[in-house]
Amino acid sequence: MSVHTGEKPLLRVEGLKTRFFTEEGQVNAVDGIDLSINDSEVFGIVGESGSGKSVTALSVLGLIESPGRITDGHVWYRSPELVESIGADEPSAVDGEYVDLQALSPRVRRTLRGTHFSMIFQDPMSSFNPSLTVGEQIAEAVESQQRARANPRSVASRTQGYGLSSFIMSTVMPSKRYVKEESLDRAIELLEMVGIPDPVLRAEEYPHEFSGGMLQRAMIAQALAGEPNVLIADEPTTALDVTIQAQVLDLLLELQEETGMTILLITHNLGVVARMCDRLGVMYAGEIVERGTLHDVFNDPVHPYTQGLLGSIPDLDGTRDRLQPIAGNVPSLLDHEMPDRCFFADRCPKAMQECLEKPPEFGIAESSSHATKCYLARTSYDETDALTEDYFSSETAETQQIESDGGTQ
Amino acid sequence: MSQARFLIRRSLQGLLVVWGVITLVFLLRFITPGSPVDFVAPLDASPELRAQIAINLGLHQPIYVQYFDYLFGLVRGDMGFSYIRGRPASGIILSRLPATIELAVAATIVAIIFSIPLGVLSATRRHEPTDYAATTFSLVGISTPNFWLGIMLILIVSVGLGILPTSRRPIGLIPALEMLIFQLQISGIRTWIAHMILPAVTLGTYFTAMIVRLTRSGMLDELGQPYVKAARAKGLPETLVTYKHALRNTMIPIITVLGLQLGSLIGGAVITEFVFNWPGLGTLVIDAIVVRDWPIIQGALIVIGIGFVVINIAVDALYTKLNPRVSYE
Repeated sequence: MSVHTGEKPLLRVEGLKTRFFTEEGQVNAVDGIDLSINDSEVFGIVGESGSGKSVTALSVLGLIESPGRITDGHVWYRSPELVESIGADEPSAVDGEYVDLQALSPRVRRTLRGTHFSMIFQDPMSSFNPSLTVGEQIAEAVESQQRARANPRSVASRTQGYGLSSFIMSTVMPSKRYVKEESLDRAIELLEMVGIPDPVLRAEEYPHEFSGGMLQRAMIAQALAGEPNVLIADEPTTALDVTIQAQVLDLLLELQEETGMTILLITHNLGVVARMCDRLGVMYAGEIVERGTLHDVFNDPVHPYTQGLLGSIPDLDGTRDRLQPIAGNVPSLLDHEMPDRCFFADRCPKAMQECLEKPPEFGIAESSSHATKCYLARTSYDETDALTEDYFSSETAETQQIESDGGTQ
Repeated sequence: MSQARFLIRRSLQGLLVVWGVITLVFLLRFITPGSPVDFVAPLDASPELRAQIAINLGLHQPIYVQYFDYLFGLVRGDMGFSYIRGRPASGIILSRLPATIELAVAATIVAIIFSIPLGVLSATRRHEPTDYAATTFSLVGISTPNFWLGIMLILIVSVGLGILPTSRRPIGLIPALEMLIFQLQISGIRTWIAHMILPAVTLGTYFTAMIVRLTRSGMLDELGQPYVKAARAKGLPETLVTYKHALRNTMIPIITVLGLQLGSLIGGAVITEFVFNWPGLGTLVIDAIVVRDWPIIQGALIVIGIGFVVINIAVDALYTKLNPRVSYE
């Protein structure tokens, strides 16, 4: 773990908005988030289910699918190497050493997957194709990255010379297969690197013949095939047994130290964050509500939501009798149901009148390393400002009243 | 279990099924009214002549004796004698078999060639004009009756435009290929193709339409799976994600349906064969039923049953190849 301060960040997400246009209405899954992630650090994004963590990750990779769309914002990625190779083709996407991934054509962006950005997913069992061997799937990753690196600018690298006709040919002629022998060898090396015993044999096996932990290792191997600069790990241990979780996390840290890659770790598990991360952002209802170093956020949480999250961790010392859950649920992210106020106000034990008038922004006066979207960051809490306890229940009752009135007309 | 043992076991099971078919088909004759003698004997035949005919046909013997005679005959390739046609039934049936198999296989190939790419396009361009065109086609294709389509094709393509011949083909595939190889004449195969197009399209349309729907829904299902997202995340070209990953898994149920359909085409292309006056098993069975030509009916049904069994074993073997989660058990 190394924290580079004062350096230019590797990844700068600015005002990223990802919307899903569903039949029920517009869902603001990611609602204008700002992040900066430094080189070789482990950055955690923490939040409850449905807070937009995974969508943020997929947005960075450019893997949002219909009906979802990134409607606004930039993902600036610092890579002089990339600027050099694509600068001439896509000048509008380049700013100094940075490339705006959002402005790149989908084809160029695809060539960055695996080589610059890689991702591991929550459930290894469903993230491997059940009818191809694990070795073959890892070798595919190796192959596609070699082809992308071999000639990053040519049109051939975008389709990688692999169209429908090549696919049909490959079913009859082994020499036309996408995956070459050398890539399979490399896949076996990768399996060995992530600590899978008998990699030669295991490479020939299908995903259902692996245990969950072994398969998650295999997925890590697959993600590392292209020696990516940024590894996005979306709940990498959630589907695993607790005993295996620690092994996988240790493996990730080990590999991070070896390769110096940056890890964007997405999790709802604060224990995982504490073990892994240098810095983190707390996400709530599509927004980052608090961000800072692990130390800042864990020892001095400002946002009541962060405080609530930390308060809901079991304490083995037994100093706390009961866990303190955060009351209520994650709010609906439907655009027309989202109020123009702090989204957390209705669950917040310290909500004030101010919170209802205008959503809070990241304060300017705060130190850049620790920032919070909460008025409490600059005013200390005064109980006299508090809203009455039944404020939101009466408000809900009112709205319902209005709705039912509207309904009868 | 190894593949060889799997095939042996499935073949033995298949034999049991075929035996069941034979038994049912044999008994069919005894539950249908009328004696075969009626169709052989002249209208004014004396009772003595009728009794003699019954003895010639072996009808005087107990059922079980007749049954074993029939069974042993089948093992030797003897399906009985068709008095109506005056020839052994097996020869007649075997001479009709190639036409039926050629038509069934051609229709299946037509279906595969058009339906799978169309279904894939439809799924990958969901809610785009291609998708609407494909789904409209498949709806029309599924709801069009075969006989109507056949007649319309004959009317428009053959009679109206005069492009392709209407009916009864003069040459089968094997003689056509022999002509091509030994006499270096292409005309035989050209005639064969010209006669094959309309029946294959007629028979293949419903089939195509159905597979388009299966492929589309299967692909949509597979493309939504996490492994597809993972494949994209590792930077694979979209063609590879679509065809190698998603289509591969979509094919598993499609192969099953293809096999069942191909089996039913062997026996069930009756209407299409009739419309195009196709010299296949379908028309043979229809003709035989009309005149109660029992040896032909029985023999044809048994051949169709064997076809079904063989195709199903082949499908199962293919299934285990495509889906590693299914082992040879």
